Amino acid sequence: MANIPISNNIRTLRFMAGEMTQADLGARIGMTRQTIAAIEAGKYSPTLEAAFRIAQVFGKTLDEVFRWEG
Amino acid sequence: MMTDTSDPSLAEAGMPFREKSAWVAVAGMVVGYGGYFAAIATLPPQTFSVDPPGLVLKLFVLLTAATIVRLLILGAGMLAIRAAAPMDARAPADERDRAIAGRAAAIAYYVMMTGTIIVGMVMPFTARGWAIVNAALLAIVIAELARCGTIIASYRRGWHG
Repeated sequence: MANIPISNNIRTLRFMAGEMTQADLGARIGMTRQTIAAIEAGKYSPTLEAAFRIAQVFGKTLDEVFRWEG
Repeated sequence: MMTDTSDPSLAEAGMPFREKSAWVAVAGMVVGYGGYFAAIATLPPQTFSVDPPGLVLKLFVLLTAATIVRLLILGAGMLAIRAAAPMDARAPADERDRAIAGRAAAIAYYVMMTGTIIVGMVMPFTARGWAIVNAALLAIVIAELARCGTIIASYRRGWHG
């Protein structure tokens, strides 16, 4: 499956947020830790709502978390 | 059934519970109904056109055994993966799980529809009795394998909607 040109720095933000685990982040936004892992690895594109929720957890804007590489 | 370790994030999280469930379902289908169709294949070719005495009982016993084997594998497998990751098993389906399940069901629908057309609209003119019954069962098994295969591939290869 082709990778889409969207990257993210969720993994870095998690570690900067007191070494938040994937499970912690997932619990905050209603996702499993495996889905969080898939987002970090570029294997899943979250919905817009989920992307906003992730950004809100870290207190960042959407484009501070996700970047369009295309 | 190895966890994808190509990315540290994926290695950290492990295999999703619903992917594990799909693997267990595939194992049950392949062993249970694979054994049934392998046994059917050993019968003489003219069996289903002649309907010898005892055929009904023989096929009923084979089908029952296949179903029991499948259910045992399914039950034991699900208990094992639940015991290995109870938190994952209790977690509700999230948006990715629902999206993958929906895609898998849609693909299985088309596979089942194809099988139904063949079994219900073509085979009555070319076959009879147990041949049609077995073809119908095969269509169901193939559709279920298509559903589980789509789930596994979507989790492994990635899903972008």
